[in-house]
Amino acid sequence: MNGNLSRFLASVLKDTRIIARDRQALILFFVMPVLFVLILSLALRDAFGDRPGATFPVLVIAQAGDRVGDSVEASFRTNPHIQLTRMSRATEAEVRAWLVQGRYKFAVLIPDDATGQAQRRVGEIMAQVPPELRIERQVAVRVLVDPALRSDYRKVLEGVLDLALHEVEMRLAREQLEQTLRITQGKDYAPLPDMEQTRLLAPLPAEPVTKGAVGPTPTSVQQNAPAWTLLAMFFLTVPLSVSFIKERDQGSLFRLQTMTVPAWVVLGGKAVPFFVINLIQMASILAVSVHVLPWLGGDPLELGDAPLALLVTGASASLAAIGFGIAVAMYARTTEQAASFSSATVMIMAALGGILVPKTVMPPLMQDLALLSPLSWGLDAFQDVFVRGGGVRDVAPEVLGLLAFSAVCHGIAILRYQGRL
Amino acid sequence: MGIACAPSALGTAAGADLPAIEVRNITKRFRDDVPPALDDLSIVVPQGVIYGILGPNGAGKTTLLSILCGLLKPTAGTVRLAGHETLSPEVKRMLGVVPQEPAIYPTLTGRENLEYFGRMQGLRGSRLAERIEACLQIAEIGDQADRRVEHYSGGYKRRLNLVIGLIHEPRILILDEPTVAIDPHSRSLIHQRLRELHAAGVTILLTTHYMEEAEQLCHQVAIMSRGRVAVEGDVHALLARHRDDSIQISLDRDPPSNLAQALQGLPSVGDVNLSGRCLTATAPHPLEATLALLQTLGEHGVGVESLDYGHASLERIFLIYTGEDARP
Ligand SMILES: Nc1ncnc2c1ncn2[C@@H]1O[C@H](COP(=O)(O)OP(=O)(O)O)[C@@H](O)[C@H]1O
Ligand SMILES: [Mg+2]
Repeated sequence: MNGNLSRFLASVLKDTRIIARDRQALILFFVMPVLFVLILSLALRDAFGDRPGATFPVLVIAQAGDRVGDSVEASFRTNPHIQLTRMSRATEAEVRAWLVQGRYKFAVLIPDDATGQAQRRVGEIMAQVPPELRIERQVAVRVLVDPALRSDYRKVLEGVLDLALHEVEMRLAREQLEQTLRITQGKDYAPLPDMEQTRLLAPLPAEPVTKGAVGPTPTSVQQNAPAWTLLAMFFLTVPLSVSFIKERDQGSLFRLQTMTVPAWVVLGGKAVPFFVINLIQMASILAVSVHVLPWLGGDPLELGDAPLALLVTGASASLAAIGFGIAVAMYARTTEQAASFSSATVMIMAALGGILVPKTVMPPLMQDLALLSPLSWGLDAFQDVFVRGGGVRDVAPEVLGLLAFSAVCHGIAILRYQGRL
Repeated sequence: MGIACAPSALGTAAGADLPAIEVRNITKRFRDDVPPALDDLSIVVPQGVIYGILGPNGAGKTTLLSILCGLLKPTAGTVRLAGHETLSPEVKRMLGVVPQEPAIYPTLTGRENLEYFGRMQGLRGSRLAERIEACLQIAEIGDQADRRVEHYSGGYKRRLNLVIGLIHEPRILILDEPTVAIDPHSRSLIHQRLRELHAAGVTILLTTHYMEEAEQLCHQVAIMSRGRVAVEGDVHALLARHRDDSIQISLDRDPPSNLAQALQGLPSVGDVNLSGRCLTATAPHPLEATLALLQTLGEHGVGVESLDYGHASLERIFLIYTGEDARP
């Protein structure tokens, strides 16, 4: 066996022992990221619109069997964001009290006999009774609203209500027209087509458009699982750089320098156990996202069908993180300096790279800046697989970027270790 | 005892007459606005001796050793180890280094530390196992070999630190303050081991600020002060050179304030040093001087507890050459 290979293996063994004996660090490495993914995927589930999450309690007061009330109720019920309660009777004072207590955010008050009144009014209109001679007035549908309800949500609810009222109006008008036609045309009468069912102008479902790739936007778990995997990996730069500086402070690194131990043996001995930890982190986060999350009421993560692409992405992200940690260690003077510098830069790279805030919600300029962060490359690669069904070829550009970043960091670190930089 | 040494480049190919360590006109400047840590310093350490570098804190001892083992580059000057100017892998293999602060992994056991550094020195298999056992014996830490080093006492840590430097049986051993802040048992054990290594032919260079240690252990010393060698040479020769004209007197009470001045004026007495109840004087004619001193002491009402001639110590030599107290 080659002498340096034997030294390298001894180095790996030594660093593995040191890490394995650091319980606190192990908990930090494995338990924390998993908890993060669970908590954030569940907490942010609604923000990503995967599910009817942000629900608004809406109250409809209408007589039982009233057609206006039924129609409003029906259209509110089809909206997944609305949690509807219908009552046949309540005083205005009671409704106001409920709004103040926060039991409902939006209350629709439909007066008794609303349908009858509307029918009579449409009859007068059809009979061309001049407005000043009409007996029936517009039905006064009232809406009481919690002032704390965001105005954009209020507009949405008002829109839903308005649409429901229009539908009822159209139906009542058609029925009135049919009735008139039956009387005037007698046996020649043919029923009118159901206009409400055959829409003329149909808005398509909205298509999400993202910069670059047009396609589905990631769900919360598709954002969170890779995002926290990457953050966990890069956060390992903190213990990695600290362990280097500890070794320097303990003098063992200097002792090694008085021997004929090449830089790659020393640096590689540390890199290997941290690389393995990174891969275990990735596996555990993905496993939790696939198996545990649905059990807690979240959406499971679909891994796509390119496990090799995932492995390559994870491995190159890990090498990038390790390179960064080692480079930081070679420049930091104290463990505190290494820890604060590496954690601060990792957080900045994470924020910039769409780890903390998804890139899809960033303005275009920030989306461009995101490309500066290696974490963003990793996230894109993971989402190529999870969201867009990509394979190794699709992740290749990002993977090459991560490997280049890693190579530059390692190069700087080795030159610095040898005192040439 | 396992200290027996394998034949090596030193003493064969390199030639027996070459000094083990040769430092020529070394200057080391860390910053331009302060005096250099090492200032045109030269020393020569012959093969097979125990060489002590003495000096107060900040004298530049650690800096010198760091340059010797390649951790620092000198601003100017050259270093030769066994005649080699470059620290090639072969030269590094001859060198054992014992840093001032124990350079060990606290969460590894003593045995694991030895194993790791042994492998880093290129040892493997049964030879590595042999050396680990030998080193555990030399340091007498076998009973704690499989405990984590963080649970060791200070003395155990230092003993482990020492033998890690010996794991590959170096021909030249460099130790930085090997016995500072250590229990008496560990200190005498380390002294004993260093003598055994010397007997086995190892060249030993150590720094210390304990003068008694240097007196007992070293054959040659260099006294450093502010980056320079103040005086250098064979310990016995140094002591002998400072022996003949000194008189030490212990007083039986604290001297009155005007005593020092009165002593200074005595014609037969040279330099006088009065510190506490300890009076030291140099005199070319000891008998005359003694009589004069005793008479003056009597006149000042001071009695004599003990009187000694020519007892030089490195402590005193150090004081003479550096003007500093060796003990911080
Ligand atoms: N890395 C360094 N950078 C700047 N100054 C240093 C460095 N190392 C040592 N010095 C300075 O060099 C001088 C000698 O230090 P050192 O060799 O450690 O002394 P000693 O070991 O004799 O106590 C001191 O003044 C110290 O402050
Ligand atoms: Mg020192």
